[in-house]
Amino acid sequence: MTRGGNARTHERLPVAGAAILALCLSVFSCSAWAQADGQPEEHRLKAAFVYKFAGFVDWQSNLSELPTLNIGVLGAPEILNELAQIVPGRTVGDRAITARGVDPADLRDLHILFIGKSEAARLPQLAAALQERGILVVTEWDGALMQGGTINFVIADRRVKFEISLPAAEKSRLKLSSRLLAVAHRVVGAP
Amino acid sequence: MLRRFSVRNKLVIIVLTTTLCALLICGVGMMLYDLKAFRQAALNDLDAQANILGRASAAALAFDDPGSAQAYLSLLRAKPEIAAAAIYTDQDALFAYYTPQPDGRLNLPPPQADQFRVEGNRLMVFKRIVENNEVLGTVYLQSDFHIWQWLRKYFAILAAVMALSMIVAFALSTRLQAVVTQPILAISDVARQVMERRDFSLRAPKASEDEIGYLVDAFNDMLSEVERRAETLETSNRNLAHEITERRAAEEVAYRAENNLRELNAALEQRVGARTAELEAANKELEAFSYSVSHDLRAPVRSISGFVFMLREDHPELLDAEVNRKLEVILESATRMGELIDDLLAFSRLGRQAIRWTALDMERLARSVFAGLLNEKTGRAVQFSITKLPFAWGDPTLLEHVWINYLSNALKFSGKRARPVIEVGANETENDIVYFVRDNGAGFDPTYGAKLFAVFERLHSDKDFEGTGVGLALVHRIITRHGGRVWAEGEPDKGAVFYFSLPKKGPAAL
Repeated sequence: MTRGGNARTHERLPVAGAAILALCLSVFSCSAWAQADGQPEEHRLKAAFVYKFAGFVDWQSNLSELPTLNIGVLGAPEILNELAQIVPGRTVGDRAITARGVDPADLRDLHILFIGKSEAARLPQLAAALQERGILVVTEWDGALMQGGTINFVIADRRVKFEISLPAAEKSRLKLSSRLLAVAHRVVGAP
Repeated sequence: MLRRFSVRNKLVIIVLTTTLCALLICGVGMMLYDLKAFRQAALNDLDAQANILGRASAAALAFDDPGSAQAYLSLLRAKPEIAAAAIYTDQDALFAYYTPQPDGRLNLPPPQADQFRVEGNRLMVFKRIVENNEVLGTVYLQSDFHIWQWLRKYFAILAAVMALSMIVAFALSTRLQAVVTQPILAISDVARQVMERRDFSLRAPKASEDEIGYLVDAFNDMLSEVERRAETLETSNRNLAHEITERRAAEEVAYRAENNLRELNAALEQRVGARTAELEAANKELEAFSYSVSHDLRAPVRSISGFVFMLREDHPELLDAEVNRKLEVILESATRMGELIDDLLAFSRLGRQAIRWTALDMERLARSVFAGLLNEKTGRAVQFSITKLPFAWGDPTLLEHVWINYLSNALKFSGKRARPVIEVGANETENDIVYFVRDNGAGFDPTYGAKLFAVFERLHSDKDFEGTGVGLALVHRIITRHGGRVWAEGEPDKGAVFYFSLPKKGPAAL
């Protein structure tokens, strides 16, 4: 009895402590991310999101027949760097994932194309071709959805969030999971 | 206790008891099954909830959106039995949670691998959130498992159902038992009436074709059988009574007849006894008379022969030849008279003398008698043969007398033959030994054979063969007293055979 009672008090204290610690940490990290636009933490998070989008998207174009899921990065070497560390050994369904840096002339077999802010000017010209090929275009600047982007990262409440354009997704023959839509910061073109 | 109730009540009680037992067993069985199902359903429910929550919050976890996860968890408010819910990140940090109580957060356990746990009234489930083979986090759900509440509700329903069933069963069995009991009651009513009124002509009504119908038939058959038997018994009783009366009358007649007969018999016996006594007395008198006559006759006969002797001795000078011859005749006659008297005395003595029973060697007796006879009459050659003779039971003196008689007769009657032949032999029959003496003498006319053994009967003249005529009568008397018979066969001039038989058993044959 005594032992059990002791055990419980001991147990409860660390749990409570851990919870408080986690709360402090999260508050601290959130504030840290907000200030760190373009910081390594933000790159890492964006790279992870890009990889994770694959699990919530269905490609209805002929891209779905490819044996691997290919991610291309245009003008964001930090993101490519992070992705290169994430993708080895990971799969979507039973497809392995590849990540490579691309230039606008080489968009073959791409499922996802991340376009960095530095290459933002290229999107308006590329948009039609990208949609034609059925590629999910992920961007990171305000107004990208108006230029033909499907998913666009934003910073809200000092957190990395994303917004989605349903008309763009439709043009690219992409089917986005409702669960993805549920966690989106904003969905454009929703009925 | 059940024994005292009527059949009607017994049936109702049996039906109710059976129903109650069946309901109880069913109810307990159903309850156990439902309890298990209820628990399983609660677990399944919780599991499904956890799955849905996990899947729904997968995106929130993936894209680090605790707000939307929290929104999902808040929906659980619609399920009051959920006591706590939480979502942890893949780093086991609390991501979002829900508790109905304000401070419930402090009671949340650390995340664990997939498992169910039951602690008292609480069900707990941990579920890993897996997306694309990658663990994104953990869902934790805890639900109150109100078993007592459930049981109370279940029992209430069960009790209501059972009460209703019992009421229906009671109503039904009260109505339906009449189908079974009515015919039985009818039989028992008839049986009671039969016993009270002794009226075997009553019959039970038959209402059904089942076992009770069979019982009614059997009961009615039995009644008619009893009725028939009673009738038969009465008839036979009447007959028997009549018969008894008749028999009693007949017996009386027979008794009377028997009495008469007995009286008659008694009278007859009395008369026979009287006659026998009379006869015996007469016989005695006669014997005494003949004895005394013989005895008294001897004296005068002796005196006659004595005086004849004295005449011849004392006065020979007075007697010439003629007188002497006549005296000789007188003497001879007197001598014969004496012999006759002696024989008669012997004969009469035999009637009184008791027999001394002895085993006798008959052959020896016959031989010695024959030898003695030959000595008396010498000078004659007689061919005598004797076979082996069996022993006999008898009085030695009396039987010697018999042999003397038969053998002397044989000698006497064969005496005129040139070669007299005498044979002695014996045959045995079943009960008797028959001895015989055969001679080749004068024989006799068989017509008179029956007279041979009577007193003073003589077939031959005294001139031919001397004799008193008492000898064979004496033999007859001796053998008869021994229990045997005498008889003879013969023809004139062809010899004769004289027989006598003696019983093998001796005195026991008398």
